Amino acid sequence: MEKMTLSSKTREAQSPSERWMRYLGFPGGILLFLLIYFLPAGAGLSAAAQSGAACFALALVWWVTEPFPTYVTSLVLMFLLLVTRTSSAKAIMDVLGMEVIWLNLLAFILASMLVKTRLATRMALGLVVRFGHKATWALLAFLVLQLVLAPLIPATAARCVMTLPLMIVVATIYGSTEATPNAFGKNLMLLNLACISVLSSITMTGSSANLIAVGLIQNMGGQRVYYMDWMRVGAPVAILTMVLMWILGQKLLFRMRPGEQVPQVEGGLDLVKKQLEAMGPLGFQEKKAIAIFGLVLFLWMTDIFHMRWFGVEISAPFAALLGAVIVLFPRWGILSWAEADIPWHLLIFSAGAYAGGLALDDTGAAEWGVRMLFGGMNLKGVPFGFTYTVVISVMMYSHLLTTSKTVRTLIMLPIIITLAKALGWSPISLALPAALCIDWVVGLPISGKPNVILFSTNQFTVTDNFKYGMLTCTLGVVILVISGATWFHWLGITPSFWAVAP
Amino acid sequence: MRALRLVVVLWLSTVFAMAADIQSYTVRLQAAADHSGLAAASVALTGCTPGTLALPLGFPSPENVRLEEAPAGVRLEPGPRNGMTLLRFHFPEGMPSQATLRFSFGLKQVFLETRLAPGEKSTLPEGSRIFRHAFVNTQEAPIGIYRLEFLFPEGLRAQAIREQLPRPKKSEVGPRVLLSKLEDRQAAILQFAGLHQGDDTSMALELVPSQRSFGWLIVGLLIGGLYLVKFKDLVAKKLA
Repeated sequence: MEKMTLSSKTREAQSPSERWMRYLGFPGGILLFLLIYFLPAGAGLSAAAQSGAACFALALVWWVTEPFPTYVTSLVLMFLLLVTRTSSAKAIMDVLGMEVIWLNLLAFILASMLVKTRLATRMALGLVVRFGHKATWALLAFLVLQLVLAPLIPATAARCVMTLPLMIVVATIYGSTEATPNAFGKNLMLLNLACISVLSSITMTGSSANLIAVGLIQNMGGQRVYYMDWMRVGAPVAILTMVLMWILGQKLLFRMRPGEQVPQVEGGLDLVKKQLEAMGPLGFQEKKAIAIFGLVLFLWMTDIFHMRWFGVEISAPFAALLGAVIVLFPRWGILSWAEADIPWHLLIFSAGAYAGGLALDDTGAAEWGVRMLFGGMNLKGVPFGFTYTVVISVMMYSHLLTTSKTVRTLIMLPIIITLAKALGWSPISLALPAALCIDWVVGLPISGKPNVILFSTNQFTVTDNFKYGMLTCTLGVVILVISGATWFHWLGITPSFWAVAP
Repeated sequence: MRALRLVVVLWLSTVFAMAADIQSYTVRLQAAADHSGLAAASVALTGCTPGTLALPLGFPSPENVRLEEAPAGVRLEPGPRNGMTLLRFHFPEGMPSQATLRFSFGLKQVFLETRLAPGEKSTLPEGSRIFRHAFVNTQEAPIGIYRLEFLFPEGLRAQAIREQLPRPKKSEVGPRVLLSKLEDRQAAILQFAGLHQGDDTSMALELVPSQRSFGWLIVGLLIGGLYLVKFKDLVAKKLA
């Protein structure tokens, strides 16, 4: 509980099927690469885009089957992107300097501070004592925590790193470690992963991509979406989905054995209470850690006022950078550099994943894929409900094709608005519900920044992430379709599902 | 001196008088295997009046510029201007208000010719070609839609779009340059709506041979096969 190291060791294959997956995954990835690489040139797809898709498919198979540690696959992917002439050397190398990589690095320095001062342990023990009589309530506590944080801190990665130490310690209390992850650990990490992303869709300020969507609806569709318009449709869908996932995760996907449903420390909950009491009152170092973390949190929460206050915006990584400077400051700080536990393997994995994702976006492969999805359908003269369901489904699952919410929004929203106009529907009737799907990037460990960070805990596999993510998305589609036929219709956003455009 | 300037301005205004509104301006350029090109252009006009329409052409040295279709009496006079080409269409009295002009021209070399200086490093692999096209609306009338359709020579495909300017506005659907298929050939389409005087648009493409190197196939199968042999213990031992 006192340490929060994120090991770079590959997880041991546990079942024969996993061992076979690893054995066959390596040639399987190569075969898929060759298949895509040598496919006849499709109209509209450049050679670089085709190569990028081939490289990404290979990496995806290797990340899922894990013949190598994930970061080695990332290194292979970066090399392949260069030699297939998908991306330039500069574009690949620059990824390591991306905002998200810096945020990861700096946030882990802050997390090390929370661990060293034992503040993370204190918070986790407190949470378990209060809600942890049953594992299910501990999971619900995290859902509520993420629900509270979502409107306060728009940066999903920031929300993830600030709650990560808490997640790891609570997982340990329930017997889930990176060496022996259990169903509780999977539920905890994946529920947080989904909550962090999905709950961003509660408000239009939940992510910058949401605001881009609002701008597109106004500029191209000529309809204004106000803050409350978004919240009235976004909040019920996001919250209901996450509550259902809290239940389904435990009951359907990763069932917890009776032993996993209570704290696994010897002596049970009483010992947890005793440990919390034994920690005594807050120490000076802990108070210092709270002050530093509070400062960073304050800067994360008030970013819209920075320009007015300071004449410059202190973005999430720079707020964390200021925190790291104070933490590492000689004499007055809390940590020495050697004590900062920075998982470099995670940064390399992230860099490879982002290099692959950016290659798909920059070469136009992602856009081509999305256009192909819509281009093959003739939606003229069909009831609104059918068009609506198709649009929502494509928007929801298209996050598997690209790693950037902004790029996906810029590609998809104009197509959807144009489609709505061409079919004779109000642009908002399709575009606003579609915009609610922007933040649901939960299908793969590379789909979003929080996913990358949480995957490094080794508490779940790519397959676990895919299962959980797909169930979340499918549930989201079902709830959005039901809402489109009822709630959104009553609000005047969507026409009747049976209506056919004139 | 001022009087002279006034005379020059008045003379220019009669010579380059706006004689029509340009609704659309489309050029279809087909590149041949020997890298020469044959282009067919079509210009849709409204509000035509007798006078001269000076239409810029985004290619520096066209050959055999020929008017293929136009109302009777229309004359075409091509000439160079600042390294580009300016086509002057002279409209006669009685010119119909709406008209479509069609003209064709040839290009000796469609691709940029790159010659390396001794010791200079090549930035393109063997077999790659760069096609670049830039168009500036130098005349007064705005152009409704400017469109260039570039059909690649047989056996070549786009490696990447190296330049597409200007960046599409939020109100525009789709990219500035679209890779597509026209007449069953790989093609790229540059499109820009609402070009006012001084607006420009451009694209640069890198084309490579359509046939991929089989080296990838050999290396891939070799490494995959080797892995299956050398790492058999991953499954064999555990199951034993």
